[in-house]
Amino acid sequence: MSSVMKTTRDVKGIGISILRPDAPDKVTGQIQYVADLNPPGLLHAKLLRSPHAHARIIRIDVSRARALPGVRAVLTAADIPVLKKKAPTRAHAVLAIDRVVFAGQPVAAVAADELAIAEEALDLIEVQYEVLPVASDPLESMKPGAPPVAEVGTEADTSEALAHGSVAGVTAEAKPAKAVNISQQARLQRGDVAKALAESDVVIEKTYRVPMVHQGYLEPHAVLAQWDRAGNLTLWASTQGSFNTRSEVADVLELPENRIKVIPMECGGGFGGKIRALCEPITAVLARATGRPVRYVMTRREELEAGMPAPQVIIRLKTGVKRDGTLMAIEGEAILESGAFSGAVLAVSGVFLASLYLWPNFDVKGFEVLTHKPSIAAYRAPVAPQTIFAIDSQMEQIAKAIGADPVEFRLRHLQREGDKMANNQPWLSNGAAEVLTRLAEHPIWKKRAEWKASSKGGKLRGTGISLGGWLGGLQPTGATVRLNPDGTLQVMTGQVDIAGTNIALAQIAATAYGVDIDNVKITTGDTDVAPMTGLSAGSKTTYTVGVAVMQAAQDARNQTLGIAAKELEASVHDLEIENDKVVVRGVPDKGITLASIGKKGNLYMSKVEPVLGTAHPAFSVQAPAFCAQLARIEVDPDTGEVTLHNFVVAQDVGKAINPLQIEGQMQGGAVQSLGMALTEALIYDDKARLTNPSLLDYRKLTSADLPNIETIIVEKPAPHGPFGARGVGEPPIVPAPAAIANAIEDATGVRLTHLPLSSERIALAIASA
Amino acid sequence: MAKQVLNCTVNDELAEVLVQPWETLLEALRERMGLTGPKEGCGTGDCGACTVHLDGKPVASCLLLAMQARGHVVRTIEGLGKLGLLHPLQDAFVRHGVPQCGFCIPGVLMAAAALLTENPHPTEEEIRYGIAGNLCRCTGYTKMLAAITETAGATAGRRS
Amino acid sequence: MRRFELILPGSVDECVKALAQSGPETKLLAGGTDLLPQLKNGLLKPARVIDLSGVARLRAIEAGNGKGLRIGSAVTARTLELDRAVRASYLSLAESGALVGSVQVRNLATLGGNICNAAPSADMAPPLLALDAEAVITGPKGERRVPIATFFTGVRRTVLAPDEILVEIVVPNPGAHSGGNYLRHTPRRELDIAVVGVASQLTLANGICTKARIALAAVAPVPLRATAAEQALEGQAVTADRIKRAADLAVDAARPISDQRGSAEFRSHLVRVLTRRTLTTALARASA
Repeated sequence: MSSVMKTTRDVKGIGISILRPDAPDKVTGQIQYVADLNPPGLLHAKLLRSPHAHARIIRIDVSRARALPGVRAVLTAADIPVLKKKAPTRAHAVLAIDRVVFAGQPVAAVAADELAIAEEALDLIEVQYEVLPVASDPLESMKPGAPPVAEVGTEADTSEALAHGSVAGVTAEAKPAKAVNISQQARLQRGDVAKALAESDVVIEKTYRVPMVHQGYLEPHAVLAQWDRAGNLTLWASTQGSFNTRSEVADVLELPENRIKVIPMECGGGFGGKIRALCEPITAVLARATGRPVRYVMTRREELEAGMPAPQVIIRLKTGVKRDGTLMAIEGEAILESGAFSGAVLAVSGVFLASLYLWPNFDVKGFEVLTHKPSIAAYRAPVAPQTIFAIDSQMEQIAKAIGADPVEFRLRHLQREGDKMANNQPWLSNGAAEVLTRLAEHPIWKKRAEWKASSKGGKLRGTGISLGGWLGGLQPTGATVRLNPDGTLQVMTGQVDIAGTNIALAQIAATAYGVDIDNVKITTGDTDVAPMTGLSAGSKTTYTVGVAVMQAAQDARNQTLGIAAKELEASVHDLEIENDKVVVRGVPDKGITLASIGKKGNLYMSKVEPVLGTAHPAFSVQAPAFCAQLARIEVDPDTGEVTLHNFVVAQDVGKAINPLQIEGQMQGGAVQSLGMALTEALIYDDKARLTNPSLLDYRKLTSADLPNIETIIVEKPAPHGPFGARGVGEPPIVPAPAAIANAIEDATGVRLTHLPLSSERIALAIASA
Repeated sequence: MAKQVLNCTVNDELAEVLVQPWETLLEALRERMGLTGPKEGCGTGDCGACTVHLDGKPVASCLLLAMQARGHVVRTIEGLGKLGLLHPLQDAFVRHGVPQCGFCIPGVLMAAAALLTENPHPTEEEIRYGIAGNLCRCTGYTKMLAAITETAGATAGRRS
Repeated sequence: MRRFELILPGSVDECVKALAQSGPETKLLAGGTDLLPQLKNGLLKPARVIDLSGVARLRAIEAGNGKGLRIGSAVTARTLELDRAVRASYLSLAESGALVGSVQVRNLATLGGNICNAAPSADMAPPLLALDAEAVITGPKGERRVPIATFFTGVRRTVLAPDEILVEIVVPNPGAHSGGNYLRHTPRRELDIAVVGVASQLTLANGICTKARIALAAVAPVPLRATAAEQALEGQAVTADRIKRAADLAVDAARPISDQRGSAEFRSHLVRVLTRRTLTTALARASA
């Protein structure tokens, strides 16, 4: 029984803040995650991980571990013949064969009756390593002669970039000789940068740095694996994409895809970190070796040390403008540290650097660099927060240098629909200008001078604004809609419901078919029963699966009307669906109930087909979505502590299918963005070992660190989105680091370019200013 | 090593469970008593997902050995509210659209319930500190504040 | 966690006996907020753990008729945070208890655990140093007392012998016209650990400072007092200038390292800032 809060919106079922149907199960602790599954005969898995970031494995002796009572299997790479010496992706590096390339890389696996026994078994495994030189800093690792990371001949893995609908038209470049750790390279150029810089009045050169950060989902990676006697594998997984998991496991273990069933359990947060297979292959192998169900749950320490974090990004920018504010040229490079395997989304960075604001001349290079650290994966708008931190900070400094209003300066040069992106594609319709303009009307922005002047008690007050966004993702997908014998609807997708999208999809289906939302049940099917569905990522769920659901519902509606037309001897064009009946327009007593149509399709000997609407669209047009953020802060100059007094998020969502869920996405994304801005960093030593592998020292923001996050929803419809909707998940993580850096400069006069903007950095910068 | 007998009260019922000496209370609740509401998010007391009540006080159950609960009263999320009837906090969380992935929610609700028992009309700052031991990655906490404030009937105090 | 044997004594005597019978790989467990994470990380692999949570005497607080405070070693940080007697005359100790972790951690973490774990950043140590507290230790040979000032011998090391238990902390009443305060700097407002912590206690008589105590955490292998800074304040009126001078001297007493929580430079900077602030608050409280 959902309580529907009706608003005076135009279309039925859209724009209504309907509550998620799974909320009651979540507040009572009834909803099930992988670690809650406890089948009979369950074994617990533990992995032995390398303490060294780069080493040769000379010898592994598991004999004492195997002899420990309660241990059911101990495996090394020697026990898994399909493993390749040159693992093409991180997922293929199930257990290290003869070399480890990051500290935390799995070297052996144990399955035991109890977790404590599995841990003791790890202590009994002896590994002899020959420690090798480590490539721990990306700037050093780029140079010729750096210790090599990849096996020679491994190709750059662009599947991550493809999964995020990356950008066409960005040219790949040939690597400089002997720089073995540069795994991807790209360059975007236009015009004559040198000439334009020479003609500029104001030239600013800065280097921005954002460390590796972890996606920070509360539920660690977890998987339960079990085989049946016929050789079929079932995986209960915490995943953002059951079909992707299935494909990766099939590829790694050389199994047919239809022998693997992935059942996506409730996912306790993903944000891009649970797209790629990680624990599934080894758990499957342990289950096969023992003939028992095996469950593997990563510890938090393992997640931080050996997860798949966001890349470290180092961006040097040199910009030139005229004193009147004309943009002349931007030149620079973006270095993305990808860890031990390639996978960074390089192209997005270049496009935002060179053409979010329209630079007539640009030369921007991108490099992906390998180091001996855990390889990266996506993190909510991958590379966008780091890129926007650089370009937005730069634009703010330029505006200040020439005495221009920071918002007007951005609006003046901001891309609009039809302008050329750096890759020569046109910018599609988007609400960037609208969200920035809207935010600039907020009293907190308008009253920033008064706020600053009100600084007291030794504290310094300031305000900052910034703009960022995401280009939007694409992936082919499918959906089905069935009419039940009682007239209710059944919608099936393979979509993992990460962001509450299922309720939005139900709203779309209800509206497209013509019934109340209470008549619609939406189910996420496993990979055996659901139509092929893409990742719950890239801000593309509502945009793509929403269209599939809408089309499937329309297909079901058409079939329903076709059956009714025959019964009522009327034309389909004269028919309506109202109050669970198909009626002839203007003749309300001439009708047939949906239930009777549903029954007809299910009766023994009936010649009427059951209504089954299907759709399996592919897409080629992205829907960029933008977000602007505004921060009012107070700084303690002696300790560097920042107090967030107010934080406002304005976002273009195209069409707000479910405003309540959208607000939650905006607030959550903004707080992740603030964490990146203020406190989060994976800190490695010079041997590429993580020095802060706990949540005590990997600092995510608590409720005590934050104010209420105010949200403003802006709607600039996307031409191809369902009812005009755009993706919502990614844009809000993008702008905060720049907004905070801008606010700190407003308050203290100090410009910081290295995240996080910690109290130490702020206090010492002020002390030395 | 032999198991030990844990006698305590869990969710208003007497419980007698055989546990291993090295098991945490969180593990015993989840694996022995079928109460999977409390979650392990970190195992080191740094995230709050395992929050239960021990004699009415919110504690990190991942930091207690199961046997340390002997003779004590334990309440988990499954014991908040009664059969078929949500606790006012649970109801408010649903209506305000709080849960997203849901993983932190049992812990947050237990912390909030303990806060309101001890301090029925907290200020905004007191609520924020009352759940500051609970990390959430999905929601940004704002809707939690609204739900808890409404339940408390509190007027939000301004942050100083 | 790896497997171990668990002993559940019901009294201090039973604890002492159990310790005497145990091998070297034995750990005492109270709140578990430091011990359990170390067990889970494999930093410690004891064969035996002795649980103190069932020993009622260790949970007791006695405010003895204004003569001083006797705090059982298993009294929780949360109890210290809220206890009226502690807040009335030993406010810096209540403040340090209030800062530990989060409410879920404070309901478990104990005073004894905090100082026996003896991390350089132990929050409850500086107030105890500033209040001239004493540790009451018992073992097979009976009871002995050790001033907190000599209790810590190194990083995670104390004067406790393997067969001894800390049973109580005794804090003398600082008397009238005395005020104290504990401040620490952390990157977050909760769930955090001190980058630097400073406690102070000032006692006045007719406007003259008769006793000054300044204690620092997280800036040396052990929590320690800044005695030169204390001496610079005693015997005269406490002015803003003298507070500033004391803060500079406190910086000299600190020997901070650089680690992933903070650089030595930042820690020294914070010693100056926090010493000045805590002395200013202590002065106001002493003068009230």
